[in-house]
Amino acid sequence: MHEGRLIEFDRVSFAYSSEPVLEDLAFGLYPGQFVGIVGPNGAGKSTVLKLMNRLLAPSKGEVRIAGRSVSEYSLKELARLIAFVPQEPEYFPFTVRELVTLGRSPYRSGYGSVSPRDAEIVEEAMREAGVVEFADRPVDQLSGGERQRVTVARALAQKTPILLLDEPTNHLDIEHQLHICRLLQAKANAGMTCVAVLHDLNLVASYCHEVLVLDLGRLVAHGAPGGVLTPELVQEVYHVHIPDIRHPVTGRPVIAP
Amino acid sequence: MRTRSGVLRGVVLLAVLLVSILVAAAVGSVAISPVNVGRMLLSRILGFDSIERTWTAAEELIVMQVRLPRVLLAAVIGGGLSAAGVLFQGILRNPLADPYIIGVSSGASLGAAAALLFFIPAGLGWYGTLPLYAFAGAVGATFIVYRVGLMHGRLHPTNLILAGVAVGALFTAMVSFMMVFKIQNLQDVYMWLMGSLSGRGWRQLGAAAPYVLAGSAVAVLFAPKLDVYLLGEETAHSLGIDVQRLQKQVLAIGALIAAACVAVSGVIGFVGLMVPHAVRIWIGPKHTRLTVYAFLAGAIFLVVADTLARTVFSPIELPVGIVTAMTGGPFFIYLMRRS
Repeated sequence: MHEGRLIEFDRVSFAYSSEPVLEDLAFGLYPGQFVGIVGPNGAGKSTVLKLMNRLLAPSKGEVRIAGRSVSEYSLKELARLIAFVPQEPEYFPFTVRELVTLGRSPYRSGYGSVSPRDAEIVEEAMREAGVVEFADRPVDQLSGGERQRVTVARALAQKTPILLLDEPTNHLDIEHQLHICRLLQAKANAGMTCVAVLHDLNLVASYCHEVLVLDLGRLVAHGAPGGVLTPELVQEVYHVHIPDIRHPVTGRPVIAP
Repeated sequence: MRTRSGVLRGVVLLAVLLVSILVAAAVGSVAISPVNVGRMLLSRILGFDSIERTWTAAEELIVMQVRLPRVLLAAVIGGGLSAAGVLFQGILRNPLADPYIIGVSSGASLGAAAALLFFIPAGLGWYGTLPLYAFAGAVGATFIVYRVGLMHGRLHPTNLILAGVAVGALFTAMVSFMMVFKIQNLQDVYMWLMGSLSGRGWRQLGAAAPYVLAGSAVAVLFAPKLDVYLLGEETAHSLGIDVQRLQKQVLAIGALIAAACVAVSGVIGFVGLMVPHAVRIWIGPKHTRLTVYAFLAGAIFLVVADTLARTVFSPIELPVGIVTAMTGGPFFIYLMRRS
């Protein structure tokens, strides 16, 4: 293993029965990075996330977290290391606070009331995700954007060093998209490792420290977005032609036809 | 504040249950005052000489040997079916799930019908081994549904529900088939299929209560995990829950409770579907409260329903399943329209 890598894919392949999804993936992610995973539909982006938290097991190779194979952790240990925001979370008429408090369950042994420390962490997570003002409303009465932030708050309440998000900006308007991306960037700057599957290349170019580009189950590029998201790569992976434009203020790539 | 008002509601439910048990044991062809029923019970609990006997020996016999065991059985079955309904609705994440959805009722019906039509001499059915046949049928059917719903070692709620429907249709057809060929015991079979507590006593209570009470207690222990499970299988996994194991455990507990209920009472419908819903509308989806309150509310509901079943058209007794559907249906529609 490589020193300092928090997440490591060691020649990982994955197949559903005989249908190969990922082939021979090898990369490492370091702490304190906001990493975007991009690629065309069906490239295997979500699968990469699910291999990280053992929702799926590799058919070849090994996924390591903090130097240990994910298969060696207990599910509770894993839940204290990795939080996950799935693509289509399900909602029940819990209040926002009740739902975010469920994020503390990996630390609680079944019963007992919520400790003051847990309550504090829940409040902080709700503040960070911007859901405090509707903390006592039932989740099923909120808009799509508000619900998504509630799910992020639930994941933040898990207080894990790693946060995985599967298309967290889907269905969100631009204000809420930017809010989520800024939050993830800030969490990464504070030491958390955030890995998000994203479709919007401009969000990745503007906010991510690193980007992983997948195509047909293979890793085709990995690095800082400024060096990776070139017109050549976009042409190769997405089969669309874009001009080479840079943002006039940040100097980061702008992906526009 | 939420918790405190929650506990208060629980105390109210418990009080209502105790009062309805006393009143139900007092009501019948021989009217006895509920106060005397209470005193009778107290004298049994505290010792025979501690309370002045303001009732006759005949009254005591009626209450202690006939009415009380039946009323308590109604409470246990109503509570058990409701707790099992909470478990099935939660673990299948389907609001239409009831305790019978994975084959319990059709299996029990097949076992009971076979017993009544072929194995048990007419008239002895209720007092003999009938619950054993029904229980075996329920457990057997559940096991078949479970095997059919299992794909590559994983349970899928939708597959399980479909398998339950298919096995249920098959078993129900087999019951009808047997009824066509053996018509002499039809009335017994029919009463059983409608669900009835008629003629049940201490023996049936002793047979069902341990399963139902232990199962419901374990169901409460699983409540925090079921809360997390409501957020979806992937989220539950990422919060440290072994989803596959939880599904198997909860299904086993729910099926055991439901099988024990069905075995002694026949197929009493609607309680296990409606009570969890009504209680969820009332107090929200958190499973600890939901399971406890649904048990209490289901117990009250069936005690009242069974009392109506045996008194309204006295001396004719209705199968209690008819009463639960006739009173519960409209109430449920009212609740749905209101919320």
